[in-house]
Amino acid sequence: MGLPHHPLETLRPLTETELAEWEEAYAAVEAYLQALRLRNRLLVAELVRAILWRASARGAKEPGVPARVLAMEETLSEIANWTQDVLDEPLENRRLAARGRLALLLADMPGKWQGVFLTPAPWPPAFKEAMCKSYLAAGPNFAELTMIPQPLELNVIGEGAAQWWETMDRRPIVRKMFALFLLALIGATVWFIFFE
Amino acid sequence: MDDLPTDDRKSVRPFFSPFLAKLRRLVFFGSVVLVNLIACYWLYDLFTRLGMHRAHVLLLAVFFILNGLLVLGSFHAIFGAWDILWGKKQAVRITKLAEKAGDGPLAKRYVVVMPVYNEDCNRFCARIEAIYRSIEATGHIESFDFFILSDTRDLDLWVLEETAWTNLCRKLNAFGRIYYRRRKKNSNRKAGNIGDFVRTWGGGYEAMVVLDADSLMDGGDILKMTRVMEAYPNLGILQTPPKLIRGSSVFTRLQQFAMRLYGPLFIRGLNWWQLGGGSYWGHNALIRVKPFSEFCELPDLPGREPFGGKILSHDFVEAALMVSQGWEVWLAWDIEGTYEEAPPTLIDHLKRDRRWCQGNLQHLWLIFARKLPLTVRAHLFMGIMAYLGSPLWFLFLILGTWVAWDREASGLSNLPYDGTLVDRYLHIDGVTQSLILTGFIFSLLFLPKILAMIGSILNPRVRRSFGGFFPLVTGVFMETILSMLLAPAVMVAHTLMVSSIVLGYAVGWGGQNREADGTAWSEALSVHAVPTILGIAWAVLAWNISPTFAAWMSPILLGLILCIPVSVWTSRARYGKALAKSKILAIPEELNPPEVMKLADLATASIDPALDATQQGRHGVIAAVVDPYVNGVHVSLLEPAELNETEEALIERCLTLGPGAMSKDEMIELMYLAPGMLALHRAVWLRPAEGIHSTWTQAVESYRRRIDTGSLDDIT
Repeated sequence: MGLPHHPLETLRPLTETELAEWEEAYAAVEAYLQALRLRNRLLVAELVRAILWRASARGAKEPGVPARVLAMEETLSEIANWTQDVLDEPLENRRLAARGRLALLLADMPGKWQGVFLTPAPWPPAFKEAMCKSYLAAGPNFAELTMIPQPLELNVIGEGAAQWWETMDRRPIVRKMFALFLLALIGATVWFIFFE
Repeated sequence: MDDLPTDDRKSVRPFFSPFLAKLRRLVFFGSVVLVNLIACYWLYDLFTRLGMHRAHVLLLAVFFILNGLLVLGSFHAIFGAWDILWGKKQAVRITKLAEKAGDGPLAKRYVVVMPVYNEDCNRFCARIEAIYRSIEATGHIESFDFFILSDTRDLDLWVLEETAWTNLCRKLNAFGRIYYRRRKKNSNRKAGNIGDFVRTWGGGYEAMVVLDADSLMDGGDILKMTRVMEAYPNLGILQTPPKLIRGSSVFTRLQQFAMRLYGPLFIRGLNWWQLGGGSYWGHNALIRVKPFSEFCELPDLPGREPFGGKILSHDFVEAALMVSQGWEVWLAWDIEGTYEEAPPTLIDHLKRDRRWCQGNLQHLWLIFARKLPLTVRAHLFMGIMAYLGSPLWFLFLILGTWVAWDREASGLSNLPYDGTLVDRYLHIDGVTQSLILTGFIFSLLFLPKILAMIGSILNPRVRRSFGGFFPLVTGVFMETILSMLLAPAVMVAHTLMVSSIVLGYAVGWGGQNREADGTAWSEALSVHAVPTILGIAWAVLAWNISPTFAAWMSPILLGLILCIPVSVWTSRARYGKALAKSKILAIPEELNPPEVMKLADLATASIDPALDATQQGRHGVIAAVVDPYVNGVHVSLLEPAELNETEEALIERCLTLGPGAMSKDEMIELMYLAPGMLALHRAVWLRPAEGIHSTWTQAVESYRRRIDTGSLDDIT
């Protein structure tokens, strides 16, 4: 552990603004490592420090870029590049980062391999194997079947009813007249049965 | 034989002899019609004696239908009892056939599919985990795949489902065996969901076990079913009779007790006549995929919803189409390990019924379809009448009240004429005649309960499985009283449902409440206001007609008047738990849980703090953007794509205004955009707090809490 090539003598005085900026950058990187479920505080602290040193070195070349942006760009690219190296496969499209992160999760980096995270090769073979075989498949290869609805064959009564029903659907006036006729019929029946 | 083309399978001899099947159906339905005709004549004779009223004609017509339904139900129990006592040759059909098929490896591949719609993902994943482990224990897991078929519309739940599924696969080492698929558009509801699966992956499997989100099935039993399907090539659908489990409220305990105690009689009775012409109930069934794809794509019905359009209750129709094409549909009544859960309250039950009611009423069209066998029409008819029966009961009671009122108002004698056939040949008076009819009706109503209770008491093993003699008898007594009190409210609710459907109001597709939180008094008041007011008004009227008439009507009127407190009381889980302590309304699965239920109880593989989208402040969609792992899982399940300018603008808006400012359609578009979700993830971590919406900054900040296994320890 530790970064012997960054001795304290290399530090320069920082202004309050710079300190606040780097504090925010520190918090963001630390939060991201927490989000990756790294539990070990010492490990997190060391990784944050290393990433911030690199960001700081970049900051000297790219003045005006906020410290947080520099630090998080370093974090994300470091993780993506490292996972690509571990996976040992070119990850061509823009899903590179997601594939790498997913492999970390599926290989159970937070549970079994925290100490290996972002370390240089060679990596433990079991870890490398777990990373390489980690993938997600939402479904197997397609094995298609066709499903075509069979027409509903109605008998004479059904056919007549269907035609009438569709006519009522198309023509609201017919529907209303039919409803009125039905109501009148029910009314007449009730009157005949109960009041006649 | 298995490799026969679909059309040639029709030439394979049916498993059940067609002659035997026809004879059984003739005996069964002949008995029902005969008994119904005798009862109707008896009532006609009584009406003649009392002096025919014009309303009596309508009363008789309605009685003919209602009594027919009652006799039909009761005779299922009677024939079921007959079959249990003397039908031993048929007693272990599926189990025996599976035994005959041997215990070698399965020749075909099978799939377990669970369609879900806005469900609690940890709960349904626990059921999948239990089924998976249960099949694994049989040593045949390599022949099975699992699919979670999501139609979930809630975006947060979508993300939770993805993470739950990933965790489940990780813990069970089941990547490449358990799959997850979400449909972009949930057209044609559950039938469309299953159909989409069949069209996409169905060709890879011989048959599919179709589950509901609340289904649970024993792996050993699934294996038996697949063996039978392999052994018998004409078998299209093998439906199991699921038992209700995990009822905590009084209402669900009542339902599961009734179904568990009386259900076997009805199931055996149903199987006695349907044989190979059975029905499919939508879940807990094994379906042969190829014929399903060929014949079960549902046609649209004439006209628009609610009566026309897309078929809502697809299951009966799918079975009907299979049977009409010569495929057999069996009821695997001896399969024990098949379970489901029920809505926890009367109100939830009625909400579900609203959907089923519309679906079943749509089946009226199919009654008029060509080429459907008798058994299919019988199933469709019974399904329709399950809901149409309620308005008929209502009409019957109204007509009865009218006749009573008219007679009372007229001041005429109640027994004006004694020259009827019953009087002449049986020499009994009108009062005795009416009491005999009443006794007959009550016998039909209670006979299934009495038969089931006696059978259970006489069988020590069954008696003990329900908690013993006292809890069993108390349970039957309590269930009888409460179901009598609940029935009138259900009758009125069904009548209102049918009326609203007739008036053209279609139903939506709501998620189901599977929790037993109980019904609030205010909700009960609003839902049951109509039956309560109706009950009070009817009681006043009945009392005015005569106290004797009010006494006759009291079981109905009490149910209506008390439906609010009964609905609330039966919804309470605490009363259910109190009953459970005394083993009242207990079922065997509660007192001695089967292995698969224990597995489901212990199943937590879908929960893992390493991949978690449930934390406050970064829940669901927020987690899919902010959390490195949740984002990784979500993006990995999307198709690769490139961003265009409009999409980039959408991402920017989401970043600066927050997800709350986006419409649901916009969020869906974003969430299906892999580079968009990656860009969002990068931006929320990269940009200073001032540049993005506080939803994102707060979510990022929330990670500055230490994440330990299962607990959060603030270190900020």
